Amino acid sequence: MKLIELKNVTKTFDDGRKKIEALKETNFAVEEGEFVAVIGPSGSGKSTFLTIIGGLQTPTEGKVFINDEKFSELNEKKRAKKRFDEIGFILQASNLIPFLTVKDQLRLVNKINRSSFDKNDAQSLLDELKINDLSDKYPSDLSGGERQRAAIARALYHDPSVILADEPTASLDTNRAFEVVEILGRETKKKKKATIMVTHDERLTDYCDTVYVMKDGVLNKK
Amino acid sequence: MFLAWKEIKYSKTRFALIIGVVVLVSYLVFFLTGLAYGLAQENRTSIDKWEATGIVLADESNLNINMSMFPKELVDDVEASETASLGVTSSVVQLVEESEDDDDSKVNVTFFGVNEDEFIFPDILEGESIQNENEVIADISLKEEEGYELNDELSLAGIDTTVTIVGFTDNAKFNVAPVLYTDQPTYQHIRASGFGEREDEIISAIVVQTDNGELSEVALGTDDLEIYEIDEFISNLPGYNAQVLTFGLMIGFLVLIAAMIVGIFIYVLTLQKTSILGVMKAQGISSKYIGKSVVGQTLLLTLFGVLTGLGLTLVTGIVLPNEVPYMNNILFFVSITTLLIIVALMGAFFSVRTVVKIDPLEAIS
Repeated sequence: MKLIELKNVTKTFDDGRKKIEALKETNFAVEEGEFVAVIGPSGSGKSTFLTIIGGLQTPTEGKVFINDEKFSELNEKKRAKKRFDEIGFILQASNLIPFLTVKDQLRLVNKINRSSFDKNDAQSLLDELKINDLSDKYPSDLSGGERQRAAIARALYHDPSVILADEPTASLDTNRAFEVVEILGRETKKKKKATIMVTHDERLTDYCDTVYVMKDGVLNKK
Repeated sequence: MFLAWKEIKYSKTRFALIIGVVVLVSYLVFFLTGLAYGLAQENRTSIDKWEATGIVLADESNLNINMSMFPKELVDDVEASETASLGVTSSVVQLVEESEDDDDSKVNVTFFGVNEDEFIFPDILEGESIQNENEVIADISLKEEEGYELNDELSLAGIDTTVTIVGFTDNAKFNVAPVLYTDQPTYQHIRASGFGEREDEIISAIVVQTDNGELSEVALGTDDLEIYEIDEFISNLPGYNAQVLTFGLMIGFLVLIAAMIVGIFIYVLTLQKTSILGVMKAQGISSKYIGKSVVGQTLLLTLFGVLTGLGLTLVTGIVLPNEVPYMNNILFFVSITTLLIIVALMGAFFSVRTVVKIDPLEAIS
């Protein structure tokens, strides 16, 4: 089942003098349980590609489907809602809120969608990521690797169908980076997510099912 | 509220400082209000005590009771459900045993000449009523602040008469001075001393009460007199309006400043958090949820700060010496609390606008 699908998507920026094609016509899909890597130099359009899938901006032409719904056609408010329900973000500098403990990061999700906080659920997720003894620590008390693992926990916690990771290993040393990518791959398979990881580090693609290369706004399978 | 409270818990020092400022400013506002109210009351308690509808003064007195003098026979021309003649004169009194050179023991007072059978005659809190000439009922503040007792004999400035305190009453201040109530003959004697003896008896005002509270019921029957609403009379007491307006303006500005401080603090905190708020929005957390948390935080800070300030004010009110004209007024305190919170929340809405405007795309790229 295709959880992410892009049909004839383009993105053009108009800075007044000339048009810049950040993303040339792209057709792309990610299946359930598939871990996709997009590599490419900076400025190649990787981030534009990821933010269009995440609904933070809309394509100039074409359509984005998330879980078979026309995501790019929704208005901003509905997109935000859908993003909250269906997409887990993992960002470069971690997407953790500095004044919440690891456990409270998860609890915030319950607060927002008005569900009750299941301690066991949260605990088993943290166990899986080997950070269960850090659940009462603030992000500033964690190491870079621990922080990214907490970020993965946060992204997985509300059980989205799609995980978008933007340079999740940028602040980590090689060993930690491999560890984080391995966890991402494992969780993708186990929880049947569609995961896209954008990175500039080719070595990390060993754990990925499919690797794409982005160059000057054109996406190609490697 | 979850986010709001967790953040306060995390950055304790920062929020403690903000609350500290709110506490101090609201303490100042409440305390000043208590003082302003107390002082205003000292101008008027003796008048409020009458529960009168209106007051009749000499036509040419320009609402100044000290300049209002007319023969007491004119009382008969005034028709109302209740009338009471009143003589007013200021004087200086001193315990007879004190030396005349000792200025510290002299007290400024106002004499009210009243008739025992009329409605403005004071209720007795302690002691007994006036039986003979040269007896007075004094405001209780003379006991509390000056230590005067029942049967104390007081000498009067510029006149060879002494008066004896036979009773005390409360809430009897006129123009910030305690009132001494006497009968009409004694009053005539004290008043005349300043102007030279006069044959006819002079009074200052006729206080009237009507059944329906309307002045239109009152018939004056002479052109020499003019009737005024009691509120109009009070606001025209010398200095009263100026005092009330000055304090009112100060308090108003303080409320505004206090609220702006909270608003600015919250705004700066929000600006500081722009990137993390952007990430939250990228995750799909709505501006509404974040905005609610900003407003909730403002509410927590202001509520806590203002109530602490109020508590401090009440405690201060208890330990203050009697000489300070401080008085609590629940109505004022409640409305100032509400006003402070409302204006602070208005300040918070600037921050909410900022939250709405944050572009998650910028925050994560």
